[in-house]
Amino acid sequence: MYQAIVFLPLLGALIAGLFGRSIGDKASRMITTGFVIISALLSWVAFFEVAISGNWTTIHVLTWIDSGAFEADWTLRIDTLTAVMLVVVNSVSALVHVYSNGYMHDDPHKTRVFAYLSLFTFARLMLVTANNLVQLFFGWEGVGLASYLLIGFWYKKPTANAAAMKAFIVNRVGDFGLILGISTIFLTVGSVEFDTIFAQGPALALGTFNFLGYTVPLLETICLLLFMGAMGKSAQFMLHTWLPDAMEGPTPVSALIHAATMVTAGVFLVVRFSPLFEFTEFASTFVVVIGATTAFFAATIGLVQNDIKRVVAYSTCSQLGYMFVAAGVGAYEAAMFHLFTHAFFKALLFLGSGSVIHAMHHEQDMRKMGGLFKMIPLTYFMMLIGTLALTGFPFTSGYFSKDAIIEAAYAAHNPAHMYAFALLVIAALFTSFYSWRLVFLTFHGPSRASKEVLSHVHESPSVMTIPLIILAVGALAAGAFFSSSFVGHNFEAFWQTAIVHNPTNHVMHDFHDVPQWVVLSPFVMMVLGFVGAWYFYIARPELPKEMAETHAPLYRFLLNKWYFDEIYNVVFVKPTFWLGRLLWKIGDGRIIDGFGPNGLAARVLDVTRGLNRIQTGFVYHYAFAMLLGVAALITYFMFGGAH
Amino acid sequence: MEIANLPDLGPIASELTLAIGGMALLLLGAFRGDGALRLVGYGAVLLFGLAAVLVIGQPNETVLGFHGAIIMDPFAKFMKVLILIGSAVAVIMSLNYLEQEKLDRFEYPVLIVFATLGMLMMVSANDLLALYMGLELQSLALYVVASFNRDSLRSTESGLKYFVLGALASGMLLYGSSLVYGFSGTTNFPSIAEAATGHGMPLGILFGMVFILAGLAFKVSAVPFHMWTPDVYEGAPTPVTAFFAAAPKIAAIALFIRVMMGAFPEAVAQWQQVVVFISIASMVLGAFAAIGQRNIKRLMAYSSIGHMGFALVGLASGTAQGIQGVLIYLSIYLVMNAGVFCCILAMRRAEGMVENIDELAGLSKERPVLAFVFAMFMFSLAGIPPLAGFFAKFYVFVAAIDADLYALSVIGVLSSVVGAFYYLRIVKIMFFDEPAEPFEVPLAREVSIVLTLSSLFTIFFFVHPSTLISLATTAAASLSSGAVAVVGH
Amino acid sequence: MEDLLLEYLPIIIFMGISGIIGLVLLVIPYFAAPSKPDAAKLSAYECGFNAFDDARMKFDVRFYLVAILFIIFDLEVAFLFPWAVSLGDVGMLGFWSMMVFLGVLTIGFTYEWKKGALEWE
Repeated sequence: MYQAIVFLPLLGALIAGLFGRSIGDKASRMITTGFVIISALLSWVAFFEVAISGNWTTIHVLTWIDSGAFEADWTLRIDTLTAVMLVVVNSVSALVHVYSNGYMHDDPHKTRVFAYLSLFTFARLMLVTANNLVQLFFGWEGVGLASYLLIGFWYKKPTANAAAMKAFIVNRVGDFGLILGISTIFLTVGSVEFDTIFAQGPALALGTFNFLGYTVPLLETICLLLFMGAMGKSAQFMLHTWLPDAMEGPTPVSALIHAATMVTAGVFLVVRFSPLFEFTEFASTFVVVIGATTAFFAATIGLVQNDIKRVVAYSTCSQLGYMFVAAGVGAYEAAMFHLFTHAFFKALLFLGSGSVIHAMHHEQDMRKMGGLFKMIPLTYFMMLIGTLALTGFPFTSGYFSKDAIIEAAYAAHNPAHMYAFALLVIAALFTSFYSWRLVFLTFHGPSRASKEVLSHVHESPSVMTIPLIILAVGALAAGAFFSSSFVGHNFEAFWQTAIVHNPTNHVMHDFHDVPQWVVLSPFVMMVLGFVGAWYFYIARPELPKEMAETHAPLYRFLLNKWYFDEIYNVVFVKPTFWLGRLLWKIGDGRIIDGFGPNGLAARVLDVTRGLNRIQTGFVYHYAFAMLLGVAALITYFMFGGAH
Repeated sequence: MEIANLPDLGPIASELTLAIGGMALLLLGAFRGDGALRLVGYGAVLLFGLAAVLVIGQPNETVLGFHGAIIMDPFAKFMKVLILIGSAVAVIMSLNYLEQEKLDRFEYPVLIVFATLGMLMMVSANDLLALYMGLELQSLALYVVASFNRDSLRSTESGLKYFVLGALASGMLLYGSSLVYGFSGTTNFPSIAEAATGHGMPLGILFGMVFILAGLAFKVSAVPFHMWTPDVYEGAPTPVTAFFAAAPKIAAIALFIRVMMGAFPEAVAQWQQVVVFISIASMVLGAFAAIGQRNIKRLMAYSSIGHMGFALVGLASGTAQGIQGVLIYLSIYLVMNAGVFCCILAMRRAEGMVENIDELAGLSKERPVLAFVFAMFMFSLAGIPPLAGFFAKFYVFVAAIDADLYALSVIGVLSSVVGAFYYLRIVKIMFFDEPAEPFEVPLAREVSIVLTLSSLFTIFFFVHPSTLISLATTAAASLSSGAVAVVGH
Repeated sequence: MEDLLLEYLPIIIFMGISGIIGLVLLVIPYFAAPSKPDAAKLSAYECGFNAFDDARMKFDVRFYLVAILFIIFDLEVAFLFPWAVSLGDVGMLGFWSMMVFLGVLTIGFTYEWKKGALEWE
């Protein structure tokens, strides 16, 4: 069963990718979608089998690398953590596959997108079922590749190509840390197998190593390096710049990769390595700081963005920050829970936005929308559910998971926990504000679209709306249904040893007993945000413009995303281009080619010319050369002392 | 009567055959007139065949004749057979050419016979006088053949250059011989070897050896005694060039080996340095200078300089393994050379022969088979596996490495890389350039046969290399077994 | 070795004496002979006429041919003299060797005759 879950998407990808042309796009769509649906259904079976009944297992697929001390096999590690991820990945993937059937209907390269989607699903499954670091890295890079292919799917669009490259390159920075982390682990533990590494956690915490004369704590370094990889993949503060640009890809792709599954790989990595992170002080604080900063910072940018997808993208970035805060303070369960619920409502929001965009004929600017709720009521309703869940409206799934994180941040003993708590509460306000702003701008108020567009606005076909409905159910109910298992009083039975806690870490118990004002604060923030958004965009629609004018520097600062792209452009991209051009023109062109191939060839020709000049055609020159030769040999023997 | 002390003529049976047969052919031609080219030509081929049979029939051991002046051993047998094959092929290849170029004079095959006679004597020489006699007989015939097209300025010029420089080289050789004789008191190789033992080797003998080396290096056209080669190769008629590039080179290398291993076996350390030097110089110059050539015959001249450098790599190692490598090298080189010149003979248009390599452009479209075979020979000359030329280089370099001559091996391999450039350029011109005017004149039948056989050998040598290798091993072993030290009176 | 070289001592002395005499004869006129060149003395002089053309002139190649053929048979005769004198010592082998030599030369002679090398026109 588990093999089928993992390898069916691969099979579908191969069929659609290699034979898509010959079997036609309909067959490829059917095959890939069918396989992923089967895989998704099996995942739910596996979830109840593994997580609820507790039947963990490992499945050896084949021996991969066995080289000296280095051993890495293809093994499927099936524990609760894996099962949760299987469900998230496969459910969203299956729904996205179905949805794409409608959304990509007019695209001439449909088969390719389905092949890529299935390939991505396979890589992501490989990542979550990994039983060793190398396998995990394989999946990690596999999703990176699929993400690159999908962002650049419309490869004729230069911005899509640039976005694809940006995503790939920024991720490379994080991957560099991940590789170093893996290497460090292999060097110190001597194995890449998870069980071996996890058993060493407490021991590694005492270890140190020498780096350039400094004594560096070993475990902190490993965890920081691993987290660096997680930061890249999960678009955390400073490595986040690729995620908004990645919206150049088709919207279902954004839903699958850049909301629900791939970007959570970083969170998954940190949770998977809870047996190591639990024993670090500095690294987990760092995780908290970065997570909280991201949550706040991305939310501020989300306030002013006008592209509907970008708002959702920054929201994703922000929510990932929440998850990292939870993981950092030791509430890994809360992080996973939010990951789980977030997958539903964020995929819902993305697919809903996709439905809006589809209805508006690929118009993404919210300033050109408005008043759509009558024309596409089902989409509106679904978006509303997603927004409620995201903002943490009581008893939607976001309410359970997000509040758990905020409370955990308050209850934790991490040095940065109050910083995190404060930022997360503010971010909750912003989240509520920009989410409702999105709803109001898109669906309420007077319409700002052209008449021609409006005349064609239509509700999406059922192949697109049914996935929305399913996700809406998840967004509403998943929190209430699974709350007690994930973070409630049953959490230890549910997670068993998939998540390890330091004996001194009681945050999972403590967060139930925080003061009442802490419990209420996110709700208050949500209401404030809603009211604010209503006031700005329904009651006084001219106010935002005035605000933007009175606080022009701040507005521009936010609109330009804290100038991160500009700073990176100056600090990294320009010097890199400069260095690249230097190495290309001078280093490669003039030095390597000049002294290497071209230079050698030129010298060869020089030698040839010289030799041909000696060949004058005059007999006496030839005779002279012979005599010189003899004279040289004789001289050599006379004075060379060769005898 | 004292007829009883007539020397044993057995060891020189093949030489006698060629001498008497050659004179008979001369008379035949003289009485039949110029129309006798084909008759005399086939007669010469028959003579070579007969001589080869006589050579093969010789006992597989070392036999001395004429008071030790002549030696007959498996090494000589191997070399003689190679030379006879080379000469026979040269005659066969030339007949059609001579007729087409209005050069159909019967002296040509006769001269080849006499030159071959000289080569056989060189191979069997065990005495400085026998050496000189064979060398001069060969050279005088070759001087004439080089200027065989006496109405062509280039041909006569090449013959004259060859003659003048050859005379200079002969002078050096004689000077060296007289020095050696003066300091050792003998002209017999084994006796010289006794006189030149170990560290007590007089400087005079050493100098004499260097001069003899210089004279021999001229014959193998090793750098810096190579200068005549491009001019002569270019000027001489094409089949003559084909002949020059093969048989005389083999004979000269054989003589080289014979003198070094026979007369100076104790001075390996000394002559090895010289051989290493001229070997490196030849390989490098052959590779570099050929790049600038547009004339295919001139290019082949530099190619042959380079190839002699590679062959000398084997000799430089000074071991039986090295000699074996040389023998294999020469055998394969002989075949490749014959094949390449067959291809060059195909470069003929209605108005006559063309020699510029640009004329080969687009040959693959007009004559795909010819272009393919030509390309195979080029790859083989460049030493690309699995063609025969690779094995040739392989064996000499293995021997050199086993003899710890690493620098020599590295330089050799590097220069073969440089050399590959101009071979591959010909392939590129044939296959990728815009077609030039096609060669419409078909190859003569006998040339096609030579071309077919040589290409089959070159391409399929790797299937069954063991026969040639075992023969070469036997031949090389006979040289270093010490048998030459016995002087029969 | 010393003995061998000593045998060549007279030759060295002979070469030395001849070299010295030659040099002396060249050097003495340089100092002793009067040298007063003028235009008339330096001009080419040919039986009272000015020179007609260049002293280097084309020469019929047949003269060379005759000369070369002459040298071959001249050398043959030069070989025959010592052979004739020592015939008693070299015996039958020597006799037949010369016969073979003469035979080879005869073949060459036949060839040149047939080729018409001996006819002037």
